[in-house]
Amino acid sequence: METADLSHHISRRFNEDLEKVRNQVLQMGGFVEQQLHKAITALVEGDSRLGESVATDDYKVNGMEVSIDEECSRILAIRAPAAGDLRVIVAIIKTITDLERIGDEGEKIGYIASRLATMERPADKYREVKHLGRQVAQMVHDALDAFARMDSLAALKTAQEDKMVDEEYEAIQRQCMTFMMEDPRTIRRALEIMWIVRALERIGDHAKNICEYVIYMVHGKDIRHTSLEDVAKQIDAAHALARR
Amino acid sequence: MVAMWTFALARLAGILALGAAFGLLFGEPWLWALAAAFLYLGWQLLNLYRVDRWLRLRSRMAPPNIGGVWGDIVGQVVRLHRRKQFHKQRLVQIFRELRRSTAALPDGVIILSRQHEIVWFNRQGAHLLGLKRPMDIGLRIDNLIRTPEFIQYLHGEDFAHPVVIRPPVQTELHLALQLVPYGVGQSLLLVRDVTRQLRLEGMRKDFVANASHELRTPLTVISGYLDTLAEDTTIDAAWAGPIRDMRAQAQRMNAIIADLLELSRLESTDGEAVRDPIAVPLMLERMQRDALARSERPRQVLLDLDSNAGLFGAAHEIESAFTNLLVNGLKYTNAEGTVRMRWWSNEEGAHFAVIDSGIGIPAEHIPRLTERFYRVDPGRSRSHGGSGLGLAIVKHALQRHGGWLDVQSVEGKGSTFTCHFPFQRLWVDSARPLAARHIA
Repeated sequence: METADLSHHISRRFNEDLEKVRNQVLQMGGFVEQQLHKAITALVEGDSRLGESVATDDYKVNGMEVSIDEECSRILAIRAPAAGDLRVIVAIIKTITDLERIGDEGEKIGYIASRLATMERPADKYREVKHLGRQVAQMVHDALDAFARMDSLAALKTAQEDKMVDEEYEAIQRQCMTFMMEDPRTIRRALEIMWIVRALERIGDHAKNICEYVIYMVHGKDIRHTSLEDVAKQIDAAHALARR
Repeated sequence: MVAMWTFALARLAGILALGAAFGLLFGEPWLWALAAAFLYLGWQLLNLYRVDRWLRLRSRMAPPNIGGVWGDIVGQVVRLHRRKQFHKQRLVQIFRELRRSTAALPDGVIILSRQHEIVWFNRQGAHLLGLKRPMDIGLRIDNLIRTPEFIQYLHGEDFAHPVVIRPPVQTELHLALQLVPYGVGQSLLLVRDVTRQLRLEGMRKDFVANASHELRTPLTVISGYLDTLAEDTTIDAAWAGPIRDMRAQAQRMNAIIADLLELSRLESTDGEAVRDPIAVPLMLERMQRDALARSERPRQVLLDLDSNAGLFGAAHEIESAFTNLLVNGLKYTNAEGTVRMRWWSNEEGAHFAVIDSGIGIPAEHIPRLTERFYRVDPGRSRSHGGSGLGLAIVKHALQRHGGWLDVQSVEGKGSTFTCHFPFQRLWVDSARPLAARHIA
């Protein structure tokens, strides 16, 4: 894991810059995580004010993305990093784009939640959506943890969870269709729920992307559009090599 | 020791003498003596080799059985080693005890370096915060605990109170995290599970809110009937007094319930108050008019407006705080006295004071004034009505605006209650010219 070792550098300033921008990414991640938690809570508890506050706070995420982006361009221009350092910067630039998208989806959920709060609530109090939300939030959290720890194995495990999220998404979709067929009066609410689960499913995809960037950052392998089983084999091989 | 060395020297002399004696018998005594010396040297080298081998492979073989000076040296090394081993074992034992006791602590303990990197953590800390050993040693704590409130707390300077967060792994918990700096830049992060306390607190608040709410309906019915009875002319005149008293008490109960509800509302809304602009001077002028319209009041109710600044906050909370202070001033000042309101702002922020020439408060009571239902003189304050919750409401409303209450009082001379608001809450309305006004 040569990239994890950011401390042996000719220029100490460069190290500090890299460390700082990494911290900023994780700080942004923390804020996005909280936004997501708040949005799900707003939906489950029918708290329209909380939902609105999520929607109005999204500008902060955008601001963070812009400032980190600028910092990365600055490092690229001044330090011209190579190898592992370059991969860190590239991974950061990609990660913040996905984080910003997660923020956008969170904003959407918060906005719809505040609208749903004024409508009649279903008997199950959105249990399935809550479960999916928990799962997705955990994925985002694990992805950011893997980023912080530079842990490619954890990243791979988290990326594999996306499959479960997709299955859950389809299950809720079918359930919503059943509701709509049984009682056309629920159509409006069911459509709103569809938007929310769709947003959650997208967040899962973004979390998976972040995991892929972590693997790229650690091993220098671009694993997008390859099956995760192949990636698992490659990572195992890389670890075996590192142990020798 | 001397005996040992004398013996060694004597032995060397003996061996040389023996060699020389053989030389005298067979001729060439010098060569014989030299051969004896070589033999002696070889024997010594052999001993040296055995000691060296033993020192190298000490853990796997017994000490060599040799006598003389070499044997003594081996003995000393063995003794020295044994003593060192004993000390080492004792230290290890103390260290283990220490580790075991911190690991068994019910609270999480995390040692952080100057850059907030994790140096060590105990089992409970790992469990509560989801830390992994040994992977997380050396990582920055704010990379793993990313809750914005915690990051703000960590980079701030106020560590007197813990910060309460929802942990990343078990989101149903509430954790109180407190940083304790020590040494040069190092710090200890204490993690405590406060879920139960918070739940109890929540239950208490809910109970007060629900109970007051439930009391309201029957009370409305009672006061309704009392109002009708008071206007009923067919009732015996002897009942007029009791009915009047009952109405007054019902009104008081109403006021207490209203205050309780206000207080529980202030407590249950989390965090800082909203930031709506409030034109404080207009509010104060209205309060003064209302005060002057009261039938029982001190002779003078004055208003000094030294600033046109307003506040960013929740209007009804600020108004209820200011009104409570003014009403207190009016209540405890006799008809000949003066109550003065003052509003001013400076670089520290905005300030509102109610200065009365009333009965004053004994110094020992001042720190406890904002407690619920705290009474300086139970007999007197009950006769004045009032719920005993006024100053608690003031305190909470100010807290939500980042402000605080300052109380100065001289018994028999009067009291000054001052509200201080931080500069960030100040709203300077440029449309209105800044001019001091004193309204009598």
